[in-house]
Amino acid sequence: MCGINGIYAYNVAAGQPDRAELIATRDAMIARGPDGAGEYWSADGRLGLGHRRLAILDLSDRGAQPMASASGRYRVVFNGEIYNFPDLRRGLEEQGIGFGSRSDTEVLLYLYERHGERMVEHLRGMYAFSIWDETAQTLFLARDPYGIKPLYVADDGWTFRFASQVKALLAGGRIPREAEPAGVVGFHLWGSVPEPFTLYRGIRALPAGHTQLVDRGGPHPPRPFASVSGLLGQGAGQVLPSGDPADLLRPALLDSVRAHLLADVEVGLFLSSGIDSGAILGLMRDAGQEKITAITLAFDEFRGTGDDETSGAAEMAARYGARHVMRHVDEAEFHGDLPAILAAMDQPTIDGINTWFIAKAAREAGLKVALSGVGGDELLAGYPSFTDIPRWAALLRLPSAVPGLPTLFRSAVAALAPTRMPPKAAGLLHYGGSWHGAFFLRRALLLPFELDEVLDPDTIAEGLRRLDPLGQVAAADPVRSGSASTRIAAMESSFYLRNQLLRDVDWAGMAHSIEIRTPLVDSELLRRVAPLTARFSGRAGKLALARSPSLPLPDRLMQKSKTGFSIPSSTWLMAGKDQARQSRSLVSREWARTIMAGWDR
Amino acid sequence: MRILALVTDAFGGYGGIARYNCDFLEALAAVSPAHEVRVLARIGEDRPFAVGANLHQDRPVHARVPFALRAIRKTLAWRPDVIYCGHVFHGPLALLLARLSGARLVSQLHGTEVWQPLGRIHLTPLRKSDMVLCVSRDTRARYARQAGSADNAFVLANTVAPAFTPGDRARARARLDLGEAQALLTVSRLDNRDGYKGHDRVIAALPGLHTPDGRPVIYLIAGTGPDGPRLARMADDLGVTDRVRFLGKVPEEDLPDLYRAADLFVLPSIGEGFGIVYLEAMASGTPVLGLTVGGVPDPLSDGELGTLLGPDDDIHHALTALLGREKPDPLELASKVQNRFGIASFRTRVKEACERLLVTNSVPGGLGSIN
Repeated sequence: MCGINGIYAYNVAAGQPDRAELIATRDAMIARGPDGAGEYWSADGRLGLGHRRLAILDLSDRGAQPMASASGRYRVVFNGEIYNFPDLRRGLEEQGIGFGSRSDTEVLLYLYERHGERMVEHLRGMYAFSIWDETAQTLFLARDPYGIKPLYVADDGWTFRFASQVKALLAGGRIPREAEPAGVVGFHLWGSVPEPFTLYRGIRALPAGHTQLVDRGGPHPPRPFASVSGLLGQGAGQVLPSGDPADLLRPALLDSVRAHLLADVEVGLFLSSGIDSGAILGLMRDAGQEKITAITLAFDEFRGTGDDETSGAAEMAARYGARHVMRHVDEAEFHGDLPAILAAMDQPTIDGINTWFIAKAAREAGLKVALSGVGGDELLAGYPSFTDIPRWAALLRLPSAVPGLPTLFRSAVAALAPTRMPPKAAGLLHYGGSWHGAFFLRRALLLPFELDEVLDPDTIAEGLRRLDPLGQVAAADPVRSGSASTRIAAMESSFYLRNQLLRDVDWAGMAHSIEIRTPLVDSELLRRVAPLTARFSGRAGKLALARSPSLPLPDRLMQKSKTGFSIPSSTWLMAGKDQARQSRSLVSREWARTIMAGWDR
Repeated sequence: MRILALVTDAFGGYGGIARYNCDFLEALAAVSPAHEVRVLARIGEDRPFAVGANLHQDRPVHARVPFALRAIRKTLAWRPDVIYCGHVFHGPLALLLARLSGARLVSQLHGTEVWQPLGRIHLTPLRKSDMVLCVSRDTRARYARQAGSADNAFVLANTVAPAFTPGDRARARARLDLGEAQALLTVSRLDNRDGYKGHDRVIAALPGLHTPDGRPVIYLIAGTGPDGPRLARMADDLGVTDRVRFLGKVPEEDLPDLYRAADLFVLPSIGEGFGIVYLEAMASGTPVLGLTVGGVPDPLSDGELGTLLGPDDDIHHALTALLGREKPDPLELASKVQNRFGIASFRTRVKEACERLLVTNSVPGGLGSIN
């Protein structure tokens, strides 16, 4: 886990990159890597790489970056973890390669030397990295299939820049801050900025599961090598052996949890009272980890309500023998941390505060690495959307096709029940009649026809045209898989998980120098489980997860419906306002406006 | 590679676009003997041109329809691998030719043609081009704003002719009879669009302007155009007529000496797609002043090679400071400019463009190239 950045003045007309810029961008990411810093310059000074280190594997200086291959030809900067690196290393050693460190970073150099751009096919993990080839004068970038680790790029036609964070690129001072309408509109529609867009025209995300090569001619187009929706679609077509799905799930999950425990420091756990984190705890125990620190957030506001995680979490911690750290958070701390939260937020998002506090608690408990159960609902068809979307689409298909009716309905809702209806109800007929529309409706913060409340008409028009939200959803839908669960898992994974949950996990964890690992978000696990995903419906997937540890979760907790790490944010954010009338989605909207109003552009 | 180029003018033409086209086409022919370049021009001297063995320009065809018919016939008979479209106005024809022959399409943006919104008829051929050559970062950004993406953009800066070198400055100054005076110089058309080239900004800065040691400052204006009378009146109104010299149209071969004679080249223009004259001045060893508007930060390398002012900055103040400063070493300045913008660098970049063109289409676009 680290922060990486680089500047490559590929065009002969461009000036030499400025060292001060490289360092400013690098050190804007100090929270990502407080344990050390490094830089590298190519012989002609036209390429600079920067790195901030959070040491987790090979804590010695031999693990420092930018790291060189033995020949000195290749240099790498790397953020993330390669979980199968012991296997990869063994394979390379059998081919006669000697290693100078015990870190996964070094493996990347020799895989690239051997396989070039196709090296990514060998990797299991969360990663964003860049490799400079001094001989060919090329820069290679790659980002993991799920997009767990961020990587942002900027090109002006002379000079190519990249970094782990948008704000770090801006801190370099050479990228214009001109707004990207698609990013701004995207945030208001989804509640997070959908990749590849950012808030700025000059900065793009390298999309998840893509590589990119930059040579003296400039950057080549990003090239896809793996896609979550592709893997899900392939899985749906596979024939499964008969038997209990839990029996198929168990070894795949155990393998993923075991892989995610690879570290030279202690690996802890974020524990709620839900099935996902509980099952991971049980599997950590099965994987042989004896000392486990589990962190749970506690809020007085939730005491005695269904949102209270503490008793369930305590029960699970006791069941699996974990050291349980219960961290109380109150309103005063929330308001006190708010400026720091907004400063750490790399791109605007309406979520992530929960992760901020639990990462903070983990750091206080002395941890550097923690597992999170994020992604379980996508993998195992756990969200209500898995049942709702097909139902809505079937119900609303006909009425939404009647010319004029969606608009009429929208006006009727606006006129008759502006306060009693959920604000998105007006769009029910506009969007609910198709799968893509229904998914969008479920996840949307604002609907396109509501954007005029917050944005000017030009931004809305250009943003919607460039973003094409329904087109983007359609592109992520493996419609030919024929499985409802597969299709919705693909949409959830490509939008909510990628752009919201995983981004929040990254910035909020990094703000406290905590590496958050996601054993349920893993391309290898997905390859094995995708055939099951296609067949899960209702609560079957989550129950199979609950029964996957050798000592299953307690029955009482298996019965609980969806819980995650929620915080009483609505109460705190709406302090002093008439709370009775504020629905959850109105709070989110208010919060989104607050974030954008205070955003430093 | 067979390259068919459609241009307004190139060899036998006059002005910045013709200059650029010649530089580019010569570079194309020079980077590989396997390249064959055929040029179809609309205007220019009424004769064919042959440059080396592999670059030929036909007699120009002025009228639009015969030009198009000639281009179509040529395409069908010769089967080019690449169609080069030297001006957006040829875009629809160039796209048609590319589709007819299965050739790659390379379009050129000189700068200001993308300052106004392009109609769909001209934007579509750019979007569908395999490569859009942009003279500056600014041109690329403006193109991206209109096209929605810069995925096919390739920045290829203007270059500077080898004639522009530092030389005998004393002789150059004597030719202009400058005496003790320090000379500001602008080389540009006298354009009458409001404040476009910025001569008036310099004239307005002249009253009270002198060197720190009290020597007079003369403003040399080379070029002709409809704004001449207004500028003369303005100088008169401000009482600086004796310090402004209108040189008229200066022949190409006299330009290097003119640049060498000047102490500072000033072109506070708000309408440059790139600004090749800045390169000519610096290559001749003379420091330059420009504004952070349009493509100008490119030749001035964001202030590294020349002085950049914001459009609202005080020019009088800046000139006073610059005239008091020690002049940079002309040879050093020229060599820096040659390294980045000289013919050799330009050809390197053209070669990179050709290499990139050969791999385009073999690379599938990912999510990053949506819209």
